[in-house]
Amino acid sequence: MLRKIWEHRADYAYVLPAIAVMLIVIAYPIYYTVELSFFNTPPGLQLRDKNFIGIDNYTAILTSEVFWKVTWNTLIWTLGSTFISFVLGFATALALHRDFIGRGVLRAILIIPWVISAVAASYIWKWIYHSDFGIIGAVLVQLGLADRPPNFIDSVSTVLPSLIVVNIWREFPFAMIMMMAGLQTVPDQLLRAAKVDGANAWQRFWHVTFPHLRNVSTVTILLLAVANFNSFIIPWIMTGGGPSNASHIWITHIYELAFGRQRWGVASAYSVLLFLILMSLGYFYVRALSGNERKDGSA
Amino acid sequence: MTRITLGGAVLRGTVSAALMASLMSASALGAAPVDLSKWSPEYVRSIAGTQDFDTAADCGKVTPLDYKGRLTFWYQGVFEGDPDLLRQYYKDFFETFRKTYPNIQLEEQALTYNDLLDKFRTALLGNAAPMAVRLQILGGTEFASKGYLEPLKPEDVGYSTEDFWPGAMKAVTWDGTTYGIPTNNETMAFIWNADIFKRAGLDPDKAPATWDDVVKYSKQIHDKLGIAGYGLVARKNAGNTPYRFMPQLWAYGGGVFDEAAANPTYKQIELASPQSKAALQASYDMYVRDKSVPVSALTNQQADNQPLFLAGQLGMMISHPSDYNVMLDLQKKATGTDKDKAQTVIDNMRYGLIPTGPDGKRAVVFGGSNIHILKPEYVEGGKVDEPAAKAIICMWTSPEWSLKMAYAGSNPGNLNGFKTKWMKERLDSIKFLDVTTSMLPYGIPFPALPQSPEIMNIIVPDMLQNALTGAMTVDQAADDAAKKVKELMGGGL
Repeated sequence: MLRKIWEHRADYAYVLPAIAVMLIVIAYPIYYTVELSFFNTPPGLQLRDKNFIGIDNYTAILTSEVFWKVTWNTLIWTLGSTFISFVLGFATALALHRDFIGRGVLRAILIIPWVISAVAASYIWKWIYHSDFGIIGAVLVQLGLADRPPNFIDSVSTVLPSLIVVNIWREFPFAMIMMMAGLQTVPDQLLRAAKVDGANAWQRFWHVTFPHLRNVSTVTILLLAVANFNSFIIPWIMTGGGPSNASHIWITHIYELAFGRQRWGVASAYSVLLFLILMSLGYFYVRALSGNERKDGSA
Repeated sequence: MTRITLGGAVLRGTVSAALMASLMSASALGAAPVDLSKWSPEYVRSIAGTQDFDTAADCGKVTPLDYKGRLTFWYQGVFEGDPDLLRQYYKDFFETFRKTYPNIQLEEQALTYNDLLDKFRTALLGNAAPMAVRLQILGGTEFASKGYLEPLKPEDVGYSTEDFWPGAMKAVTWDGTTYGIPTNNETMAFIWNADIFKRAGLDPDKAPATWDDVVKYSKQIHDKLGIAGYGLVARKNAGNTPYRFMPQLWAYGGGVFDEAAANPTYKQIELASPQSKAALQASYDMYVRDKSVPVSALTNQQADNQPLFLAGQLGMMISHPSDYNVMLDLQKKATGTDKDKAQTVIDNMRYGLIPTGPDGKRAVVFGGSNIHILKPEYVEGGKVDEPAAKAIICMWTSPEWSLKMAYAGSNPGNLNGFKTKWMKERLDSIKFLDVTTSMLPYGIPFPALPQSPEIMNIIVPDMLQNALTGAMTVDQAADDAAKKVKELMGGGL
């Protein structure tokens, strides 16, 4: 083994700087977060005066009502955003895969939501949704479709779906690009052969196109899921987690606990739990990538 | 537009001895540069322009004008809700400081009210704080109690403790030691649109006398005109919410603790008291029962109410004297018929005292900001240039600049500011200033506790949101908030 390492010494040397940076900027913060999760950090004390309390932060989190509410919100947010963004992105990619006039322009337009700043987009949508003088409400009232502007983000029942719509609008172009790239890899001769064999459009899609896109779909879904679990900007800017915690997801709740309430210990415990979940998703992501490589015969 | 003279109102009004005492301790009355016991719009007018001050000469005695140094400084600066006039004074201040102290390399950074605390806390954790900071009044005790701040009293920069509002000095005092100097202190007033009142069948020149009247007026305006009556604000993590809800809570006889008492102990939690619940019920009645306030109150702040008011879509709100100037600035930006509509609203803008509770109790948040020096170990580079920090603190808290930097929106922290020629000029140019200065004796400081920012920025708005969204009943929301305060005070997780 030592001989093998010695033979690959140059390879190790090449990755050493990256590992060193990762240890400093990733490993140490992870260690410190895990350590902090076992301490109480009352608002009247400095962080260095923290008290060791064992697993009390984890117990407090798992027995608190807010945790389950926020977890439920996070699941709805992540699954809703990921699934719909993927389906919408995939459908758009299929539509744009055909050759028609203006395809390039349309493709460029559809990418806009993904490339503009999330902060700017959040503020624009906040005004679009505004419960008193938002443009959607104004149009609905003008057209006589509503007596008063609908309440999008000031209601506990509509706030989360409203934010998910914004998130989907912003990230479906990412799914679209990924799937468009995947569609380029589907062998044309297979589709033609299937057509010759009498397969209809749906059968060609289901039996030829989709199996070829399985891996890229998995990767896209995992990347979207990780991004959505970690999503902060849209809910924080548009509602700050409100009203009444109805749009708090894990990441915004962690931020409020840490920076608004200075519960560094509890916030760290939350972060550790979130880290474990994301690592699990990361594991599946790597597995999906490795699966791709094995199928390509490159590993 | 009629100027509202409230000369006798303060003395005739139901100013409780408790409220007066909370701001003006007996020991301070004798030595203060102005006679706080005579406080009235007439008295303020009588002292304005009676004394000249030479800021550069005064501060030169604290830090020589040729002093060479470097200073990092963060401050709660102007934001979108402030008038252009104030923006200009901030610009002038830093230009003047650089001219007065040409050898001090100043690196200043302005942050908004809502961002400053988060950023400052984070910087402190990384020992990357600035050497000096100007914080909202709510923040001083939090950082003093944690040991981040150097002791600093007015005498350290050439002034006397009696030069400042006694209530404001409480907010910079922790465990008997003073850790900062007030830069400005303010109380808000009640603003209404006389034209909307008239069209809704209300007396256009009379503010609602009680909070119950506010609920009634708001409903009447909404029912008759289809617009929002009162500009309720219930957003979380926004300073606007406690500044508008706490006066209501105190007027009904409630409170978070006993902060409205003459000598608060902060021992008994009062959020679940019947009086506090009555105050919360009033907000519930306006938002849920009558639907007479902006629906967006849960996600908006006062800056969002201002355009609504200017558009003639809002009848009443609580705000600073600066709102008049903000309206003028906004009106200048309007075009076409909107410009005329805005002018009509400005012509019909009226200011009055904040309404009382059922027992005649009137209250307002005694707000403002303080300036502090950090301990070197928490500052980037591990060094604090104390003479440079004192130079800027001396200038900002001087009679001249504490007045100018509060020109349109607040009042000078240094009481001598009321004697300057700029105060006289201000009284002539800032409409309704009389009304907001009349509210000063009713001012109640936020509890001087390290837990106050969390209580005011998170727990109280949460209570409002829980009740207003129907997530909890009014009783449950108040009980829940009281429980959270109890846990917080007990050092809970």
